[in-house]
Amino acid sequence: MPKVTINDRTVEVEAGTNVIEAGLKAGVLVPHYCYHPRLSVVGQCRMCLVEITENGRKMPKLQTACSSYVMKDGWSVRTDTPEVAEAQKGMMEFFLINHPLDCPICDQAGECGLQDYSFKHGVAYSRFQYEDKRTYPGRERIPLGANVVLNMNRCIQCTRCIRFTQEVAGTGELGFFNRGARVEIGTFPGKELSNPLATCVVDICPVGALTSTRFRFAERVWYLDKKPSICTGCEVGCNVTMEQRRGDIKRYKPRFNPEVNDYWMCDFGRATFERYKKVPRLASPRVKAEGGNGHAPVLNTGWSQALDAVHRALVSAQGDVAFLGSGFLTTEEAYLFAKLADLSSATRRSVPVDLGPEWTIPRHQRPPITGREAAPNRRGAELAGLTSALEGDNGTDDLLHGDSPVPAVLVVCDSDFGQAAWDAATVARLRRAKFLVVFGWADSPLALAADVALPVAHHGEKDGTFVNVEWRVQRFERAFAPIGQVRPAVEVLGDLLSRFEGGWSQVSAGSVFDRLAGELPAFAGLSWHRLPATGAALHVPGAQISDRAAETASEASA
Amino acid sequence: MAAFEPVLTKNVGKPEALTLQGYRQLGGYEGLTKALTMEPDAIIDEVKKSGLRGRGGAGFPAGMKWSFIPKGKDKPKYLVCNADESEPGTFKDRLLMENDPHQLIEGCAICCFAVSANTCYIYIRGEYVKSALVLEQAIKEAYENGILGDSVMGSGFKLNMYIHRGAGAYICGEETGMLESLEGKRGQPRVKPPFPAVVGAFGAPTVINNVETLCNVPHILTRGADWFKSIGTDERNTGPKLYAISGHVERPGTYEHPIGITFREMLDAAGGMWRGKQLKAFIPGGASAPILKPDQIDIKMDFDTVAKAGSMLGSAAVIVMDETTCMVRSVARLAKFFNHESCGQCTPCREGTNWMELVLKRLEHGEGTERDAQMLLSICKNIGGQSLCALGDAAIGPVKSLVDRFPEEIEQHVRERKCPFPQPRYFENGA
Amino acid sequence: MSVHEPASMKPSGPPLRGGGLSEASRAEIDGLRPRYPTTEAVLLPALHIAQRQWGGWLPDEAIHAVADELDLPVAKVYGVVTFYDLYHQQPVGRHRIRVCNNLSCQLRGAEEILQVLHQELGVGEDEVTPDGRCSFVHFECLGSCDTAPMMMVDDEYHENLTPGQVRQIVEGLK
Repeated sequence: MPKVTINDRTVEVEAGTNVIEAGLKAGVLVPHYCYHPRLSVVGQCRMCLVEITENGRKMPKLQTACSSYVMKDGWSVRTDTPEVAEAQKGMMEFFLINHPLDCPICDQAGECGLQDYSFKHGVAYSRFQYEDKRTYPGRERIPLGANVVLNMNRCIQCTRCIRFTQEVAGTGELGFFNRGARVEIGTFPGKELSNPLATCVVDICPVGALTSTRFRFAERVWYLDKKPSICTGCEVGCNVTMEQRRGDIKRYKPRFNPEVNDYWMCDFGRATFERYKKVPRLASPRVKAEGGNGHAPVLNTGWSQALDAVHRALVSAQGDVAFLGSGFLTTEEAYLFAKLADLSSATRRSVPVDLGPEWTIPRHQRPPITGREAAPNRRGAELAGLTSALEGDNGTDDLLHGDSPVPAVLVVCDSDFGQAAWDAATVARLRRAKFLVVFGWADSPLALAADVALPVAHHGEKDGTFVNVEWRVQRFERAFAPIGQVRPAVEVLGDLLSRFEGGWSQVSAGSVFDRLAGELPAFAGLSWHRLPATGAALHVPGAQISDRAAETASEASA
Repeated sequence: MAAFEPVLTKNVGKPEALTLQGYRQLGGYEGLTKALTMEPDAIIDEVKKSGLRGRGGAGFPAGMKWSFIPKGKDKPKYLVCNADESEPGTFKDRLLMENDPHQLIEGCAICCFAVSANTCYIYIRGEYVKSALVLEQAIKEAYENGILGDSVMGSGFKLNMYIHRGAGAYICGEETGMLESLEGKRGQPRVKPPFPAVVGAFGAPTVINNVETLCNVPHILTRGADWFKSIGTDERNTGPKLYAISGHVERPGTYEHPIGITFREMLDAAGGMWRGKQLKAFIPGGASAPILKPDQIDIKMDFDTVAKAGSMLGSAAVIVMDETTCMVRSVARLAKFFNHESCGQCTPCREGTNWMELVLKRLEHGEGTERDAQMLLSICKNIGGQSLCALGDAAIGPVKSLVDRFPEEIEQHVRERKCPFPQPRYFENGA
Repeated sequence: MSVHEPASMKPSGPPLRGGGLSEASRAEIDGLRPRYPTTEAVLLPALHIAQRQWGGWLPDEAIHAVADELDLPVAKVYGVVTFYDLYHQQPVGRHRIRVCNNLSCQLRGAEEILQVLHQELGVGEDEVTPDGRCSFVHFECLGSCDTAPMMMVDDEYHENLTPGQVRQIVEGLK
């Protein structure tokens, strides 16, 4: 592999790597706007000009780093010469002469490429004093579709958004119109930017020209706390950054993972956190008075009283117990539920499978990834010991819809396990159990009907792992503390299991993961702390990803 | 210098040259006939030896350009003839196309044979309707007589030739802008490398030559590289050259001279200054060439001498300005042109050409400041060498030379708070 | 091998509105396809053809029709239309007048010619006379600097103009 020296730091790169990427490897950021690793190289913004010396001979002009490819040894690149600094300064001036000074009301402020580079490379005064700035009257807030708003005044014509729709989404809704200083981006009159990945153009817009309808004026970005998380919108498991302020989630942004979602995510996924705000929250443990049949007075109690009640019920049922799992459980939670099912000799431990809308994320140099199931972790739940219809278990159907007798004790692991949790008939059927226990974050009809309802954290409030459609286990982190008396399910289950046997006190998602990794062959060799940021592929014998999904799909359409 | 016989324009004014038969009677298609008997590499060598440099503006050696095309016949290759003549002051290619279309067809055919290209597109600017019609007719006749088509003059070499009309964009004269336009896109120049010889039209190796360049080729083949080299200043500046002269001269027009004639000789040939006025300035190579002053009147009009004088021969479009001309106003007009024609994709050109036009207009209207001259130079510096294609460099040529060579005119505009030159009236009583 | 005439020289048929590309236009476009290795390359000539069909300009409907015909994203076609000066997105007059006033023409009185035209027609740049007869189109150098001042009316060059000639030419436009 050829070696290249950038500002005296030498790195080895694959032949054909451009100088921006080589710089990143060497720890040197070459400023750029139009370049994006997943879009065609156009060399338009001219911000990445660098000085290149080839075997001691300096190239006559500054070169754009994005379109300069290291092919063999002998290149020495400098990004810190007076000439380069002068060029960067000149370019910043060109960008800014026609850019509005509306940072105080611009959503991009704080994460804006113009702010960052003008601070680093620009000058603090303007020589553009006699002429009017170019404006696009009537094009300051154009909804390009449901999710993206364009302010043409702020655009720096880098064309990333256009290339995204052409090259990644493949829909080509956006175009470059007019010529010269009058160029504009936009959709054809009357057409919308409506592809499922549309909001990605907001992520890649280096300035505030494209903003997200959902996030507009929602929060100044410097107040946001960010944690790596996983989208729960489907089984793809797009890596996201959960951005929140004081427990109020403001947005998801895709987090780069070449193995899963690359730089992208779908608009549907971006909206999924809103469920946590719209759906009423179960905030403290609730126990109904003894002998109730669903109409007895409800008592808000402490955790230990509630768990005692559950423990008593499970023991006294003598095996007439069923567990209704959920694809929304973390792998660790599912593992503990399975343990609990073992200890109470439960007859069933079924995970329902809901098909959702189909989402496809394009990836670089590999086939796109498609999610069809509505839950992010059906696979993890199964690996951890629960079973689904896909494993030949028809327990879910029996429990939810069948005529068979409902067990004496029914433990629903997630009050929001799927659509059925919100269906009156299903709730009525499940209520026929003598004792109904419901875990969950949502105060769903099912939770309202429960004898014991246990408030547990949603995925922004807890640590855990999900196993995605391609059997990749991915870790996410707690972004903020749960509200009220809510506790992460792992802790709650630890306490409950401790009532049956020793060794379960003080468990955490990490400790449970390490324990299950030692026990389950699929997770062999993995550990919580050493799980790579991009996740780990599981050893699942005979896991035929696409066949499985196809089966599910054909069942659904049948 | 011995009396010079026109070469490229010898058929101009002879209507019979428009027909295939007439053109042949005037000695046409001899070059192609000869070429078809030669090895392709030998043709390239002959063109290389002739020293023919591109007549479109950059002056790149044509034979060298051809030799960059990968050998072999397995993959498609193209010739794109650049007939997008749009540089203000330039009108020489139109003359060649309208008066001697077969000369161009012959030149294209020889080039295609030399580089094994089976398809030639003549990219002609959309406004040149007459040129397109004349060429279409000539191409049609060439097809009908077996000069184009499945077997060029019975040689077995297949060649299709098509006219592709532009739609009004100067930037499509830039070779990669032209390729984009040919492919049905906005005419935005591409990042280079790769160069068109490697990745050109439709991703295939492509030669792009100007009309006048290709028109020289048949003559090089019939009369030999040595004859070609005998015309001109030195071995780097050879052959006949069309000079398009316009502005304040008595007889504007296209004149064919040996390359390297002096500007004074050219001016004399065009009847001298218009209405007997004094020369104030001249642009030697089209709108993008820096302006020269009368002290350069004896400059040899070849590629290297003009470059040495701080300008460029470009397309050899000479614009002459007399003593009544306001230089600020003239340069402001050129700045308006470049702003209008910038494609808008790259930052320095998009923003810089616009800014320069605004500043120059302000100066012309007497609203300039003392800082403007230095600021213009600084804008030029920030565009120069940093734009994606050559249009940025083209746009700063006239502006830079205005500030460098006519500073007193800018100062006068600023001092007097108005344009010191009266608005010229060219027509008495509006007649 | 079919040989194709430049589109703008063919007589323009009656503008067909609301019905997309006419059979004749489509046939003409189809005739061009074999010339290029890609369909996209047919776009510029196809737009010339469509513009002729729609009476000298390209309403959104025409742009849509061409995009559909060539199976291209309409935003891309729109980008091409707005890039080139010869494609018009506003209705034009029956006659399109383009006056070059670039440097060489400016040095020979183009601005006086422009003034005369503005007086005669009573309209400015990119405007159509109320009777729909003429429209004025901004244009850069038309490559006829030796015969300055000059103007282009539809597809024809008028050279070495004087104000008197300009008046005559304009009066002759129906």
